[in-house]
Amino acid sequence: MSFLVGSAGVFLCFSAALSGCGSTADSRPEKWSYISPVIIQPSCATANCHSQLAERSGVVLDTVADGYQQLLSRHFVIPQNPDSSALVGLLRGAGNLRMPPDFPLPEADIQLIERWITNGAAWDGPGSKPAGTP
Amino acid sequence: MGWPGLEAGGDALSSRSSLVLVAVGVAAFVVAFSSGAREANAYPQFQFSSGTQRCAQCHYAPAGFGLLTSWGRDEGADTISRGGDGAFLHGLWTPPAWLALGGDFRAAAIRNEAGSSGPPEVAVFPMQADGYARVGFGDSGISVYVAGGFRGTTRPGTGSDSMAAHLESVISREHYVMWKPSATGAYVRAGRFYAPYGLRVAEHIYYIRSVTGFNLYEETYNVSGGYLAEDWELHVTGFTPPPNSLPLPLRSTATGSGAAAYGERRFNSMAALALQARVSLNKDQTLIQGGAVGKLWLDRPRILFMGELDLQRRSTTGGNGSNQMVGYLGPTFFPVKGVMASLGLERYQEDLRISSTAHTAVDLQVNYFLWAHCEIILLGRYQMNGTGLADGPADSLGMLQLHYYL
Repeated sequence: MSFLVGSAGVFLCFSAALSGCGSTADSRPEKWSYISPVIIQPSCATANCHSQLAERSGVVLDTVADGYQQLLSRHFVIPQNPDSSALVGLLRGAGNLRMPPDFPLPEADIQLIERWITNGAAWDGPGSKPAGTP
Repeated sequence: MGWPGLEAGGDALSSRSSLVLVAVGVAAFVVAFSSGAREANAYPQFQFSSGTQRCAQCHYAPAGFGLLTSWGRDEGADTISRGGDGAFLHGLWTPPAWLALGGDFRAAAIRNEAGSSGPPEVAVFPMQADGYARVGFGDSGISVYVAGGFRGTTRPGTGSDSMAAHLESVISREHYVMWKPSATGAYVRAGRFYAPYGLRVAEHIYYIRSVTGFNLYEETYNVSGGYLAEDWELHVTGFTPPPNSLPLPLRSTATGSGAAAYGERRFNSMAALALQARVSLNKDQTLIQGGAVGKLWLDRPRILFMGELDLQRRSTTGGNGSNQMVGYLGPTFFPVKGVMASLGLERYQEDLRISSTAHTAVDLQVNYFLWAHCEIILLGRYQMNGTGLADGPADSLGMLQLHYYL
């Protein structure tokens, strides 16, 4: 009996933990050094997409520096202008394909990226600013 | 639309209360199982449900994955499938005792609707083509294992039909040397493979694989060791990613170096509890992970409950970071021989401070093992963001998969 009770307790606690936590206020930093490793790399730099291994469409996003260089130098990001930045349109599915195609980002993540772009899409990663970026 | 209870619960639960709930749950698990414990003699769903206690009974790898042992091949035919001969080449030719050969071949069709303004994505694609060879050196316990094949491509890019593109997709996902002199006891393994960690489900899209460092082609180069006993096992691994200077077939999507540990205790041939921890570092971030894995097999209704819960801390070089949660929970039902039906609830929260950064998925999967070596898989998956559509689009995926193993 204790076995079943314990098991039920585990699953109840597990379910409660899975049911959600946190607040609605977004206090995360609008910085590329945060956005890249926490949002972009786990979502986009995957096996058949924008990793060094696959280089889908020639875009590599699996490091802070490479991601910044690719997005800025290829004009996926237009500093201070999120509406003209192709990255935002891709993330919102404005065209035929939403990115990432099988892992849509929460609106809060897209808005965080928009705020980073609006603020100038500054480089704050380790080392010097990648070459070829405005 | 939202996940029931999320709107009400999202703001109320703090990350601290979530951690307390998890701790209470793990404690309840330990208390329940320790009081009833006794001596107990890869699809993780087959542990206990097929009468098998350890992954290494059916796989050569100590924690499962890859080439099947002769026992595993027999189980695949006699216990799991509706009939047939599970041996290599269906028993037409038997390799010498020092050699084991095999392979996995998968093709898939998907329909994916991710909330874009275009039509749903429909694709048919080769998913996996991997061959395996294992050579054992007498009674020394030493063996060499090599896997080689092609990377699957869900969405072909420009020029991907050319021969050069196909050759670029050649990959050796696993290759290692192992000393494992007996079915139980100590072992040491060095080479490329996934470090033992988590439930190790076959589906790489599940959050417990995709965001924990075990996504597709994320194998690392490792030195790993451990101990396998009848009712417990322990695996400790040091890992590093392949450098980008290596030829393409030897590279992977892994970027971090670190260490992982996984310890599992089994109870009464019907339950298991594992604790695990992992640290991974690269030049952009440090990822610290810890969690628990549980399984419970109920013999009479023929249901296996599986769950995994991981808490992660991603610390970035800019001095920021996020506390994350990754979980899977669900029953697998074995109604008749050859059929396995699983219902899963998944959760990945990118930042425990922000409820709208949660990803929630519900999965329904049916595996039909119609004959030894042959499997048909149907998967339906529905993903939601945050607390409803206001927090981002939903994604619905339907997949048909055909699997043949040599």
